[in-house]
Amino acid sequence: MSGASCKANGAVYPASSAMMNSVKKPKMEQIQADHELFLQAFEKPTQIYRFLRTRNLIAPVFLHRTLTFMSHRNGRTNAKRKTFKVDDMLQTVERMKGEVNLPLFIPSQNSENEQNSVSLEVLLVKVCHKKRKDVSCPIKQVPTGKKQVPLNPDSNQTKPGSHPSLLVSSNEFEPSNSHMVKSYSLLFRVSRTGRRDTNGLVNGEANENIDVTDTPSRKKRSSSHRDEGETTETFVAQMTVFDKNRRLQLLDGEYEVSMQGMEDSPVSKKRATWETILDGKRLPPFETFSQGPTLQFMLRWTGDASGKSTAPVAKPLATRNSESSSPMETRTSNHRAALMTVKESVSTDIQTRKEQVLCEPRQKLRIFYQFLYNNNTRQQTEARDDLHCPWCTLNCSKLYSLLKHLKLSHSRFIFNYVPHPKGARIDVSINECYDGSYVGNPQDIHSQPGFAFSRNGPVKRTAVTHILVCRPKRTKPSLSEFLESEDGELEQQRTYVSGHNRLYFHSDSCMPLRPQEMEEDSEDERDPEWLREKTATQLDEFTDVNEGEKEVMKLWNLHVMKYGFIADNQMNQAIMLFAENTGAHIIRRNLCRNFLLHLVSMHDFNLVSTATIDRAMARLRQIQEELPDIEEEQQDQTVVSAGACNGNAVTSTGGKQGKRTKSALTD
Amino acid sequence: MFNTNRQKIMDRTDILNQEWKTRRIQPVHIMTSVGSLRGTREVIPLKTLNAVASVPVMYSWSPLQQNFMVEDETVLHNIPYMGDEILDQDGTFIEELIKNYDGKVHGDRECGFINDEIFVELVSALSQYSDNEDDEEEEEHDFKVEKMELCTSDHHSVISALISLSVCLSVCLSVRYKELTEQQLPGALPPECTPNIDGPNARSVQREQSLHSFHTLFCRRCFKYDCFLHPFHATPNTYKRKNLENQVDTKPCGLDCYMYLVQVSQRSFIHSFIKYHSSVNCCSPSSVSVFTIFTSIKQMGGKNSSFVRGNSRCQTPVKMKLTGEAEAVEWSGAEASLFRVLIGTYYDNFCAIARLIGTKTCRQVYEFRVKESSIIARAPAEDEDTPPRKKKRKHRLWATHCRKIQLKKDGSSNHVYNYQPCDHPRQPCDSSCPCVTAQNFCEKFCQCSSECQNRFPGCRCKAQCNTKQCPCYLAVRECDPDLCLTCGAADHWDSKNVSCKNCSIQRGAKKHLLLAPSDVAGWGIFIKEPVQKNEFISEYCGEIISQDEADRRGKVYDKYMCSFLFNLNNDFVVDATRKGNKIRFANHSVNPNCYAKVMMVNGDHRIGIFAKRAIQTGEELFFDYR
Repeated sequence: MSGASCKANGAVYPASSAMMNSVKKPKMEQIQADHELFLQAFEKPTQIYRFLRTRNLIAPVFLHRTLTFMSHRNGRTNAKRKTFKVDDMLQTVERMKGEVNLPLFIPSQNSENEQNSVSLEVLLVKVCHKKRKDVSCPIKQVPTGKKQVPLNPDSNQTKPGSHPSLLVSSNEFEPSNSHMVKSYSLLFRVSRTGRRDTNGLVNGEANENIDVTDTPSRKKRSSSHRDEGETTETFVAQMTVFDKNRRLQLLDGEYEVSMQGMEDSPVSKKRATWETILDGKRLPPFETFSQGPTLQFMLRWTGDASGKSTAPVAKPLATRNSESSSPMETRTSNHRAALMTVKESVSTDIQTRKEQVLCEPRQKLRIFYQFLYNNNTRQQTEARDDLHCPWCTLNCSKLYSLLKHLKLSHSRFIFNYVPHPKGARIDVSINECYDGSYVGNPQDIHSQPGFAFSRNGPVKRTAVTHILVCRPKRTKPSLSEFLESEDGELEQQRTYVSGHNRLYFHSDSCMPLRPQEMEEDSEDERDPEWLREKTATQLDEFTDVNEGEKEVMKLWNLHVMKYGFIADNQMNQAIMLFAENTGAHIIRRNLCRNFLLHLVSMHDFNLVSTATIDRAMARLRQIQEELPDIEEEQQDQTVVSAGACNGNAVTSTGGKQGKRTKSALTD
Repeated sequence: MFNTNRQKIMDRTDILNQEWKTRRIQPVHIMTSVGSLRGTREVIPLKTLNAVASVPVMYSWSPLQQNFMVEDETVLHNIPYMGDEILDQDGTFIEELIKNYDGKVHGDRECGFINDEIFVELVSALSQYSDNEDDEEEEEHDFKVEKMELCTSDHHSVISALISLSVCLSVCLSVRYKELTEQQLPGALPPECTPNIDGPNARSVQREQSLHSFHTLFCRRCFKYDCFLHPFHATPNTYKRKNLENQVDTKPCGLDCYMYLVQVSQRSFIHSFIKYHSSVNCCSPSSVSVFTIFTSIKQMGGKNSSFVRGNSRCQTPVKMKLTGEAEAVEWSGAEASLFRVLIGTYYDNFCAIARLIGTKTCRQVYEFRVKESSIIARAPAEDEDTPPRKKKRKHRLWATHCRKIQLKKDGSSNHVYNYQPCDHPRQPCDSSCPCVTAQNFCEKFCQCSSECQNRFPGCRCKAQCNTKQCPCYLAVRECDPDLCLTCGAADHWDSKNVSCKNCSIQRGAKKHLLLAPSDVAGWGIFIKEPVQKNEFISEYCGEIISQDEADRRGKVYDKYMCSFLFNLNNDFVVDATRKGNKIRFANHSVNPNCYAKVMMVNGDHRIGIFAKRAIQTGEELFFDYR
């Protein structure tokens, strides 16, 4: 995307020696103690984010290009959709038949250059599984091709499509071919015959593809070979394609590899560190690129063998040395133009705004990460020249996007943007109030069984309304939103899923509460069933209350419990409602006189007026008339059903002989 | 194509799994396709069920939305088990516990090995197998069983001695059985029980007896019979009727109305009588109250033609039969009882009484009334000992009240006593009144007059009653819907939008709470909707137990390190262990987001949980237990 190149191994470990440059004669213990503190603060979150990065590469949860502030990463248009036909898919599949393999396609940027060229050999190294007898892992080297590549080409002159390219067949990676292979790596071997004059040695030392040649330190490095001018100098670099866990490590992209002389054997695995040691001195991670020869190339995984012609042109790459100003200029301007074509007006707006915020004359952004730790008393600074996220190597390509990404994706840290004459300074400190609690949909954690994104086939999920499209009001993107707020108060961290980020349970059964049950409150009913039953049994226990009274009392109690009457002045209304709701039942059960007694008793308590009694009884009569055949039943009931009523009373009171008496209550 | 894709997926998943294995994340399993085209071997998908996260322990409890008063437990219901190690370490704990209950543990037999209930059950069960035998034989069966049981317990040689006893034993048993079963005969009720007025055995009884059950069981505070909260109910005979509403229909109810019986008398006489009577009686000037004088007058005037309109609601046929002769009507026991009940309420409104009885005409009622005249009390005169209230005095009352509330507040006596309606007839609420001594206001449930000095007058706010401007709020009381008539506490029964914010507990306007494992310990309770500061969240409900009972229960709870006890007042404690509502899961915090407030709500102390600050959606609720 950007002109800046990826680091070969992509590893920028913030723990690397940042303080080293500033301190002249550091005492070892002091440095170590400081380092400890630094690690203590930053190691854990960094590890977490590195892990998340890898996981996101393999199984992405979302695509960065879909984010608003990363929209420039989305280089695709949906123009084709309009003309899309389903049949086209078939054609595509037909075409792809036979070329399912994924050959590794390496168009090297370096073109043939008659003045100065070196030969580049690319070998595929297969490290096989160690057999019992082997001392070390057996290594198979498969040559894939040899090309002449230009030495220090003029980036402005290189023509598209003129670069040599190498193709590694994907057959080589087929597991069926070699079961035993543990890991694959690419070995670049650049050899250069030493038939040069001393001038060439002084001026154009064997540094492939380095635009700027007159760096004294590099000369020093290569000067050791000067004596043996006739011999062939060989530089090698190795890059892992698949590691031993079969993870793909080399993705599409432009690479710059620092080469090393054949003599210094590549750093053995055991001594491998993040740091580069040169002449007994540790070097900052990127220094190696200015120390030795480097090789630039573009790597592309392709499923199409004929894609050579359409392969994107290797863009002239920038060096990291700011001295070379002229090529830089063109780069940035090109880059910006490219951006503008892709993006809509808003993003160009950002672009221009950003330019205003930043110091204008500068061509290139240098971003200083200032790590604050130990209660913000100590700091280490590390600079990067690109807009890649140091934790997940995501190319954000814009400062605004980078800051936004850091803030949203790496919230275990606090990032504060400080404008800097050379670019930007980002203060990184540990977010003490980082809330690691889950903020997604609670149902996703608990939906049984297990996974929200199951690969095991269909999974029963709970029906949840997910918000798929949300268009919140967005403020205009501005770098000022990343400046440290004045009042010191951290902006209230917005919870993105409001509140309920946990699974709730039913209070009675302890079963998980399903989302569709969220609205119903188990406490909404004022009269739980057991209480209704209790009031009935409690009344049944009385031996000196007759069954008619009991029945009316029960009905009334249930009525009061259901409606929860609390005031004296509700009683008239309550009585009428009672007559309305239970009138039919009262008539059927032949309880009219008991009902009347109840009303009179209420009147005696001075809760209802006689008018209400009249009205309630009138309503009862009315209901009685409306009831079909009630007259006949009534006749029967007065004769027969009274016995039935009593019979009922016997069943209800039979088992509870002599439990309670009402007279005991008044004592 | 498919297979290569599949291969690719497998590879990727392998990579993923290998990585995850090192991170101890559960690996992803690819379901191998069964119907693989070329494959000859059968492959069965392996399904792994992930472990389900366990939830905190919860002991069962019953949901409750209002407090529930329970009596002290006299026996230890169970010996708590808290794990072997605790029992081993601290054996004395259980001993002490049992000692608290005077050594009584539930399940100890109170009586011998067979009690009455089991005995009756046994006999009736045995009688099923001896169909055609009479009672004597059943008894013998029973006796044999008894004997057998004795045999097993005692030594064999004792049997001979028992057999000699058997004769007297069998007699005793049969007598006892008869005793027990006779009680169960249908319709036969204990003597103190009034027969069902709707039943066939309804007897003619006095008013008090008819209404006795209703009067004694009704709780005037809960409006329920035999309520769960108030063990003692005042009977209404001491309640005074404040409004004498025994208005009598001045118009005859129909052609057959008893009024025509009465109206034949000379008007002048009636009028003079009414004048005399109304000075005493304050009844509405109607002719009906004069029946005692005119019992002899059974004559009917001939003016009926002018009163022909009027819809008869009496059930007798509309045929004119307005002779002065008293009809010989049969009054059933139920009707007679009902009449006596109604006469105590409606006095001389015979039309209304007849309407309510339904089976008798007002005339019949009237005649029955005449017959019963000797035993029926007349309408009570207005209470003489309460002088009519004066507007001015009321104002002064109000001022003193507000001052008093303030004083009570300032006095800040930490002792809050339970309210019990006072009942001391003919005595003002002075220092001897239980309400005054307990520093409680008299409530509407008290038997004292509504003019009582100690009565809380309610508020007259027009605002939300959530500041100390409101006397109710100041006195830590919720607004009483029968006293505070302006603030809205007495309106909008159906909706939750009440202008008065000081009546949430009584209305049960709680917030929706959700249960989930706590962030702190065990279970926690979380709020569904955001709330404002000081908003009511929930009432802390539970069993209301005495302080003594709380001490006994607390000993066990302390051992469990889990207590739901909450001090209500000096007399009672709320225990949400067995019965409660969801707020019982709120955890303790020294920096809580809720606070608890014990409020006087219509005569009951209740615990309200309120928001101490604005609370966001999904926050866990805490309050300070101390």
